[in-house]
Amino acid sequence: MPAVGRTYWLTEPCRIRREDNSVRVERPDGSPVRIPITDIRDLVVFDHVDINTSALSLLSRNGVTVHILDHYGNHAGHFSPAESMSSAATVRRQVEISADDEQRLAISRSLVLATAENIRWALDTDLLDPALEALRNALPACRTNDAIMGQEGNFRRTAWAVLDSRLPPWLRMNGRTRRPPTNAGNAFISYLNALVYARLLTALRSTPLHPAIGFLHADTDRRRNTLALDLAEPFKPLFAERLLRRAASQKHLKESDFETDVGRASLSKNGRKKIAALVREELSTTVHHRGLKRQVSYEELMHLEALKVVRLCLEGTPYKPFRPWW
Amino acid sequence: MFVILVYDTAVERNPKVLKTCRKYLHWTQRSVFQGELSAAQYRALMAALGTVIDPGYDSIVTYTARSPDMVESTTLGVALGGPGDIL
Repeated sequence: MPAVGRTYWLTEPCRIRREDNSVRVERPDGSPVRIPITDIRDLVVFDHVDINTSALSLLSRNGVTVHILDHYGNHAGHFSPAESMSSAATVRRQVEISADDEQRLAISRSLVLATAENIRWALDTDLLDPALEALRNALPACRTNDAIMGQEGNFRRTAWAVLDSRLPPWLRMNGRTRRPPTNAGNAFISYLNALVYARLLTALRSTPLHPAIGFLHADTDRRRNTLALDLAEPFKPLFAERLLRRAASQKHLKESDFETDVGRASLSKNGRKKIAALVREELSTTVHHRGLKRQVSYEELMHLEALKVVRLCLEGTPYKPFRPWW
Repeated sequence: MFVILVYDTAVERNPKVLKTCRKYLHWTQRSVFQGELSAAQYRALMAALGTVIDPGYDSIVTYTARSPDMVESTTLGVALGGPGDIL
């Protein structure tokens, strides 16, 4: 991760061009915006964007990742710079760990449990305690990743129902749906999940880890960067569930921020901007890290999470998934 | 660090200085730039500018602060600098 540099959120249709070895963003209205190339950590694209090869090669040379979200907020893909952090030793260990059933299942279990506890933390309710207890008892008996994912699914279903009870009727999810999300609540969660995934992918790029060699999702999601999906799990409650609850209780989101159709929903242009602002602010929130003895932003927590996996590979330090301590 | 850079150079060298600054800093006003840089980036920018200007005639002044929070600024009239990071 570059020491300085910001994430730029492109919420309107625009065109990205290279100019004087830096970046110029042209928007349909108004004058072009020039962004210093050294100030870009990554780009998150919410809308139609035109980009050409010379701009891409400049972005690649400066280590900038471009994340593309589709209309429904799913992760549509990303452009990432050529490998520069590779280390065979780390990747080899990563493959060994992921191929060893015992170790992989142990990591999967801890990831699922941490996620469940984080949800409980994010929703801040004891309604989830029985479900959490059931999950805790069921996990050690799971011998395959599918079984673990099944247990997670059971817990998630309860958690969504509990979350629904805290939301205004129009924002309720009535069961999680994706591709496409069927209502406003689901659209919001989809967007946030895609963003968290994108943030982790950026974090992983600054380590030698291979983002496609994961532990939990390895068998079910064959075409995604499963390690990013895995590591995103414990962070999702911190962003998606918590922000949805907060946006609802503070009446920050309005029905007009969503474009709802029969059986599908997505964010409107204004809604996208709101969410980009919300997430940007959330990512820069800092907490005191007891190990590092300094303030650390949520964004950096994801980077530290990726480094934990590096330490697991190189030093054999047991991997403990992220849990909020504050 | 947070950097404010002001340049006053001969007309024929202005574009060169402008283009060099654009790679590192945000344009705020005619011949004024500002932005956040690491120490290394700051040195790189200064080195690049050093090769462009005529040290006998041109003048570039920078003001640095530890972070943008350390600087208070007010704008009267038109704010020429671009929007933030949500475009």
